[in-house]
Formats: sequence, C-alpha cells, structure tokens
Amino acid sequence: MTLPPEEPRDAHEPRPAEPAGSGGPVPPAPQEPAPPREDSGNRFIDTSSGRDDGLNKCPRCGSTEIEYALGAKALVCSHCRHTWNEQNAEKLFGLDSSIAELQGHTLASGTADVREDLTMVTLKCQGCGAEVVINAEQSVQARCHWCRQTLSLNTQIPNGAVPDALLPFQLTREDAIARIEEFAGRRRTFAQRRFKEEFVPENVMGVYIPYLVVDGNMHAVLTGDGEVTTREYTVTVGSGDNKRQETRYDADVYSVQRAFDLLVDDLTVESAERFDARDNSAATNNILNAVQPYDVENAVVYNSHYLKNFTSERRDLNVRDVDHLVEEKFLSIARAKVQPTVRRYDRGVRWTGEGVAVRGTRWVSVYVPVWLYSYAESASGDSLVHYIAVNARTGTTMGSIPVSHPRIFAAACAGGTIAGIVGLVVGLLGFFA
Amino acid sequence: MPLTKEDAVLPLLAELSAAPGTPILLADGSSSDGIFLPFLLGPLTFAGIYIGIYRFYRNTDKRHRYERETKVAVGNLQQDDRRTGRKTGQRSRSMDGRNDTDHLTRVRRLRVQ
Ligand SMILES: [Zn+2]
Ligand SMILES: [Zn+2]
Repeated sequence: MTLPPEEPRDAHEPRPAEPAGSGGPVPPAPQEPAPPREDSGNRFIDTSSGRDDGLNKCPRCGSTEIEYALGAKALVCSHCRHTWNEQNAEKLFGLDSSIAELQGHTLASGTADVREDLTMVTLKCQGCGAEVVINAEQSVQARCHWCRQTLSLNTQIPNGAVPDALLPFQLTREDAIARIEEFAGRRRTFAQRRFKEEFVPENVMGVYIPYLVVDGNMHAVLTGDGEVTTREYTVTVGSGDNKRQETRYDADVYSVQRAFDLLVDDLTVESAERFDARDNSAATNNILNAVQPYDVENAVVYNSHYLKNFTSERRDLNVRDVDHLVEEKFLSIARAKVQPTVRRYDRGVRWTGEGVAVRGTRWVSVYVPVWLYSYAESASGDSLVHYIAVNARTGTTMGSIPVSHPRIFAAACAGGTIAGIVGLVVGLLGFFA
Repeated sequence: MPLTKEDAVLPLLAELSAAPGTPILLADGSSSDGIFLPFLLGPLTFAGIYIGIYRFYRNTDKRHRYERETKVAVGNLQQDDRRTGRKTGQRSRSMDGRNDTDHLTRVRRLRVQ
C-alpha cells in the first residue's frame, strides 16, 4: 500500500491541435489495454497465515489467555506475561509493492464475499476436541465452554467475516472520555435537555469498524472549457437617477483537456452497511466517516485477541457492493488533483467529461478502532442515533448532539429582532435622507 | 466548560458567511437596488443564527475529505488547451457553470482506454 518513489513526471509537450470542434474524441491514453473486470482475472493474496485451526496461541507458552493491553499497546499473555504485536500486514503480505505495477484486481482473502448462508460456524476446539458453534453475525471470537480455550474464525476464505488486518487501539478510554466531554461541553447551551441529563461519557465503547482499503492504478481523462479574463472595464448603464457604473469582463474561451496517470494509496470505504456514510437515516454515520483518516499502513496482521474487550462490527458489504462508489471516489480524486494545472483559467473551468481507466486495484479488509458514544434522540425504537466518535489512533473527535429546536428558535428570534430593528432604523434613515 | 451563548454563536456566524447559501441570499437583497437590504437584516440574521447553531451541534456537513487527504501520485500529465473563441461584456467575474472546485459532482462519463 505504498506509493512508488517516482513522483509526477514533467508534463508532455502539448499535442498538436485537433480539428476544430470542442468535445471531440478523447485522445487515446498511453497504450495499455484495461484489464477485464471479470472475477477470473482476479488475483488473491492469502492472509489466513495458515491458522485454520481457529486458534491464536501465545507464541511463548501456547496459552490462549491473551488480551490486548492498552497500557502496553500490545497483546499480553496472562499466563506467562509475554508481550507482542502481530507483524505489519503490509510488509508480511507484500501489500507495499508498487501501485504502478498493479494489473487487474488483487484481493486479499479477507475481502472475499461474505457468505450469507454461513453465519453459524462450527469450530472444532483444538484444546479438548469439543465442537463449538458460534454466530459469525455477532462475533468473530468465541470460547470453548468446556476448556475455556479462545476460538476464533481464522478460516477466512469460507465466509470473509474476518479481516486481513487491524489497527490496534492507541488512545486510552480515559483520553477518549475527556475528548467526548469536551466536545459535548462546548455544545450544552442548545442541546436537548434529555441529552444533557442522560449524558454519561463513561458509556463510551471501543468498536472496531470494518473498512475496505483500496489501492488503485489508473489513467484519468478530463475534458471541459476554461475561460481567461482578457479585459476588465466599467460601463455606464441606465439613465437619469438610475445611472450607475458596472464592471464588465471580456474573456478568451479554451477547450481544456487533461490526461494523466493516477496512483491512489489506501482509499478507505465503509464495509458495514450499518455504518455506511451514505446513509444517515438511522444514525449519524457521517460522524464516523469524518474522524478519518487512519494510518492504515501501520495495520497489523489480524489476530482475534485484539478484539477482546472491544466490540467489533462484521463486514457485510462485498467488494462489488462498493465498487461503484470507489470508482466515483477515484473520479473525485482526479478532479481534485487536476486543479493546480488549470490555475491560468481565472474565470474557472467547467468540466463536462470525466473518466478513469482502472488498470489495477488491490483490496484489503481492515478493522479500524473508534471510541464511540451513542445516544438515541428519543426513547422510541426507530429514532435517530447520534454518535460522538473519537479516532482511537489520532484522537480526531467529531460528533452530533441532539438539539432543542425551541431554544435555537428563541436565540435566532432574539438575534433577528435586534438586527431587524437596527436594519429598520438604518433603512428609514435612508428613505428620509 | 460552560460557555456563554455569544462564545458559541460568533464563530458560527463566521462559518456561515462561508456557507454556499449565504451569498445567494445577500445577492438577492442587493439586486433590488440595495434600498431594501436593511430590512432583510432581521430575517437574514435569524436564518444565520439558526443554521449556524444547528450545524455546530449536528455537524451534518462533516465528512472525510478523501479527495484531498488520500495519498496519491500523479504522473505522465498531458495537457491539450486550444482557444475556441471569446466572450465580451460578461457581467460576472467567473464563468457560467464553473465546477473546477466542485469535485464531488459527477459529469458525463467518458470511456477511457
Ligand atoms: Zn504465554
Ligand atoms: Zn475446548
């Protein structure tokens, strides 16, 4: 997931002018046929690490009594106190190879389609041989109720419920509580009374939220028109009392075209429908989206012990569910990146055509850590859930607080009335002056 | 922690003046010869305070600015700019339908090879 060192090469010589008529055909991109998007062309990276026994043992003593300790920022074996972290996923799985070389679609095994029919999974306990059924819908970790071994769904390829990699929590719960308190504290005046009464920042939960992380190698083309001011002058319009000066502009119009190679590193998309930023109807999901970005390049190889004491949301969106969204994001990135090259058009550019030829993508499923305070706006079942979220890597905090509309209305009325009176006086003075 | 109302509202109004809807309202006011502008001060302040407070509390407009914050590399840039004509006597400083800073709104899709 690392960009190659070679940064933008110099612009090529402008091409000779094409026959007149803007909106002509798009020039061919540097020759390289786009790979087919069929599944058959996909390449897979196996991230299961061969742990298909469903067990993550302490590498020193073999115990499964392991927890992620925020103080040590590492996994700690409660049996022998051995402390360690899993390896960097990028390095171990070779995800740091050049994006420019990506061809076709490369899928880490944690991004395989989530199989709906496999929500209940039977694991054979390697400690005592008992068979334990766990619901993959609710958890990706379970205990054998006979011998207390921790079992985990590390058989990744069958159902795609387990991510390839994970970013462990960095920020402590206390730190998160302080940030949430501060965020809400600055928003007390117009908050719903019930929210203020029931606000308990200690109820913050550590949640791992699944994301799909995409690298992309593409060629982008943009076409449109741009205008450059050539003259600015004033004209006199109207007559008599209405006579006044107005500014006018003359401009040259250009047809503008840009074509370039674009490498995108670690673009993230929500992969749990419940937290999809496009849907804010049931919860303020944009809040979770807004605490990004995450340092995905530091993600470690998935190990279910990181999830203990935290909640985790299972991925339920597949690569093809977010494929369209990702392509649109690629287009937005292309539009943003091309902006510095059209500075000479001081009257602006109107893009009328845009497209990307995606040569290669690489998909990885990653869990990211969030401290989450949630609050349902009303007591009824289908009310909006407000989130205050803290990025547990960077501390970035964002939230939504239910407001009391009557109180905002009162404040706006007060302000509006004062301004209205001032305006009235000024206006009447203007009339009679 | 307890802040006064003024503390919260003033930065909001500053934020609001940058909101997309505001210049349109103001422009509407000034187009009627400017003489009625003082009488719009009350309603405008009302709307400004209301929208500003709501936005500060609910943050419905916040999102990850992925188009700027994602790491990307651009190379092999080819530019083709041809003059196609000229316009005179334009009233606006900016061209019609300009969208070079509006990265999220999609336009006609080109097929790129
Ligand atoms: Zn141990
Ligand atoms: Zn057992």
